[in-house]
Amino acid sequence: MQSAEFVIFVLFFIIFLNTSSHKDLVSCLGWTTADELYSCSDDHQILKWNLVNNETNVVVKLSEDIYPLDMHWFPKTVGGKRQTQAEIFVLTSTDGKFHLVSKMGRIEKSVDAHKGAVLAGRWNYDGTALVTAGEDGLIKIWSKVGMLRSTLANQGSPVYSVAWGPDSDRILYTSGVQLTIKPLQPSAKVMQWKAHDGLVLKVDWNSVNSLILSGGEDCKYKVWDSFGRLLHSSSPHDYPVTSLSWAPDGEMFAVGSFNTLRLCDKTGWSYAVEKPHTGSLFSLAWSADSTQLAGACGNGHVIFAHVLEQCWEWKNFVITLTKRRSMQVTNVMNDAVDILDFRDPVIKASLAFAHLVVATSLQCYVYSSRNWNTPLIFDLKEGTVSLILQAEKHFLLVDGAGLYVFSYEGRLISSPKFLDMRADSLNAQVISLCDDTIAIRDNRDEKVILFFDVLTGKAVGDGNPLTHKLEVVEIALDQCGPATDRKIALIDKNRDLYLASVRHFGRETKICKIGTMVDNIAWNDAANILCGIQDNQLTVWCYPSVVFTDKELLPKTLHIRDSSEFNSAPRILNFSGTKVTLRQGDGSLVYSSVPPYIALLHEYCSSARWEDALCLCRLVKDQSLWACLASMAMANRELTTAEMAYGAIGELPRVEYISMIKEQPSKESALAHMLLFSGQVQEAESALLQAGLIYQAIQVNIDLFNWERALELAVKHKTHVDTVLAHREKFLQKFGKKETNKRFLHYSEGVDVNWENIRAKIEMELSKEREKAANASVRSNGASYR
Amino acid sequence: MAKDPLAEAGFHFDEVNKLRVLEPDVSQSTAELKEECREFVDKIGQFQKIVGGLISTVDGLAKEAETEKMKAIGARNLLTSVAKQREEHQQLLKGLIAEKKMQLERYRVEYEALSRVEAEQSEFINQFILQK
Repeated sequence: MQSAEFVIFVLFFIIFLNTSSHKDLVSCLGWTTADELYSCSDDHQILKWNLVNNETNVVVKLSEDIYPLDMHWFPKTVGGKRQTQAEIFVLTSTDGKFHLVSKMGRIEKSVDAHKGAVLAGRWNYDGTALVTAGEDGLIKIWSKVGMLRSTLANQGSPVYSVAWGPDSDRILYTSGVQLTIKPLQPSAKVMQWKAHDGLVLKVDWNSVNSLILSGGEDCKYKVWDSFGRLLHSSSPHDYPVTSLSWAPDGEMFAVGSFNTLRLCDKTGWSYAVEKPHTGSLFSLAWSADSTQLAGACGNGHVIFAHVLEQCWEWKNFVITLTKRRSMQVTNVMNDAVDILDFRDPVIKASLAFAHLVVATSLQCYVYSSRNWNTPLIFDLKEGTVSLILQAEKHFLLVDGAGLYVFSYEGRLISSPKFLDMRADSLNAQVISLCDDTIAIRDNRDEKVILFFDVLTGKAVGDGNPLTHKLEVVEIALDQCGPATDRKIALIDKNRDLYLASVRHFGRETKICKIGTMVDNIAWNDAANILCGIQDNQLTVWCYPSVVFTDKELLPKTLHIRDSSEFNSAPRILNFSGTKVTLRQGDGSLVYSSVPPYIALLHEYCSSARWEDALCLCRLVKDQSLWACLASMAMANRELTTAEMAYGAIGELPRVEYISMIKEQPSKESALAHMLLFSGQVQEAESALLQAGLIYQAIQVNIDLFNWERALELAVKHKTHVDTVLAHREKFLQKFGKKETNKRFLHYSEGVDVNWENIRAKIEMELSKEREKAANASVRSNGASYR
Repeated sequence: MAKDPLAEAGFHFDEVNKLRVLEPDVSQSTAELKEECREFVDKIGQFQKIVGGLISTVDGLAKEAETEKMKAIGARNLLTSVAKQREEHQQLLKGLIAEKKMQLERYRVEYEALSRVEAEQSEFINQFILQK
């Protein structure tokens, strides 16, 4: 499942705190906790706003010559350890200095940084470095205590805004109408591109989705990916964009302008716009839980906004966040309405698999869709839940400190951990949950996917992660079927879609490509059907595992929707039952349905009701359904059904091969041939060798013209060397060639090739095999009789 | 005429035969003067009061005129700025309308998609019933 959360529409709700305010324009602000905000103003005061009791206190009055421009709290998470509160912040001012100021308002240190004003100052994510940008066009990196480390860049024009890259290894800054990304490593390549028609005034870079946001004097805001590709450009506003800020969870961002506050989705379209009388909004700051926003107004006020009217849908239930502490559940089948109340503000919620999981700042509530009155409540250790993922039997909470799997009864099942885990940077694209497995993309090496067992929290199988050849951008685990058949679908940097099995024993993981140009994917919640956006079309992989049994059948099992249905860049939100929910680039929701037969077929096949499956296919008369049935039957070694299904789609060679398999004298050879059918030569050979069928193994290699291996086997087991040589000779004669392989020349010297003998030997082997098989079946019958 | 020795010594008798050092005529004139003076002072006082009242009334009028004038100026300014305000408000409403229109368009697209799904489903149901 791509994302259990399913937000439909969001509104902003703005409140003014009229207790007291600044006497001059507010220039910058920053949250310390979810209820406390510091703001700095041109009246030289630093105010503290407490949202619990609506009080405003003056923290400190700065000296008359300090006009603050930017402030940033020292990050809360430092080296995996999490402090409860931010203790110190950096304050930059017009006199070319930056100040490190404590929570009590004491200036711990003032550093002369730039000529002219210091326009921006930002800590990196782990708090080891500070970057400042000045009117003199310099960008400087400072240590935690304010010692100059380096001057990163020097350009002629003022740098208005600066932001750290997601891994704190790059800096994004404005240079006139351009944006520049400069890595901290001196040798690495600098990227620069023209971003706006007017001066770029503000930039922000989110660490969770690595998207860049910029706004400028051309009155537009734009969304870029980290390679500088434009994803969205807004229509021009009436006034220049003076501030913008990503919500920390990367789902939304806010844009501020003169008398305007706008809330937008990460893809750029706007949820809501408010026109408060604030003057220009000089700065915007989200609280760490991404539910509250504060804006610094030109008229000396500070405005606070909450995200409300979020909506979740599952089957016949619609849930709306009506107040910060209250939700409304509507059952559209009978119009029954329930109100859910919470003690603390709601931070995250997720509705799927008949359960609603709501995380508030202190507690987690679990509701069952059968009973909205009595939730299960348990306390959360850490306040800010950043992600909730649901599977059928349990759900996963992600907060700043780690991952926790809970059952719907509220029991902590496990808490997977790995080296250098950065839980705060996880999003729904790079983590996936199913009933038995959690898959996470490693944040140190984006080619690696780690698997954890849900029940134990330990790495799955032999503990080796799956390593792909390219960076992985999205992963999704299938939701149904036994744990041993668990598959993962992944999209890499080239936008190729691959399928791999999660639990593999001993052998190398098989990873097969099943699509190209795929933008995003989602598994169905009830059957292992995958849907994805391929080249702006909705493609449904009715039975993705077909690649493991019969690769060439894959195109026949696809179900592609007409592209005229959607306009630009749709994204799949949810694939539940037969309904696919997509969000288009302009923010509108569209739905598409998948024929219900596919899920039915999956159900029949998983419960081995092959007769019913055949009936269904005959009823529907659909090629793709037959193709699915053929590969499902083959995967389950159900030869009769497979034969019929292959016949129905006109794959005669395969039908013949299957009937050949059915005529195999022993189970082992039949198994080997089935493995050969799906192209698993190595496995087929080892299966034969294990069963002691040396000749058959050699014959398999001869049939595949794998001469060297055939000879090697023959020599190793000291049998049928002449058979191999005879076939080789025949083969060469047919093509009119001479033997050049040294090994064959060497062995042909001492061996006399006699076809009569060989045929006799082969006949003997076959009869031996038949005899053995007959004995075995008698034995097994006897065993079953006993 | 025999001179009154008392008069020579500067003593006089008045009508009620009280002894006086001033001539009765003079004394009478003095008393009259005094009376007149008092009357004069009274009149002056009255005059001052009347004038003061007048001044304060005029002052009040001036003040009132001033405020009325300011009010008029304010009203005139307001009148001229109303047009501007209207324009601003119109702009704001236009912005909001554009926003709502976009939302409407989203809903329309959603509705269309849902109708399509509904059509597909009813087609499926019909097909299913026919085949049974």
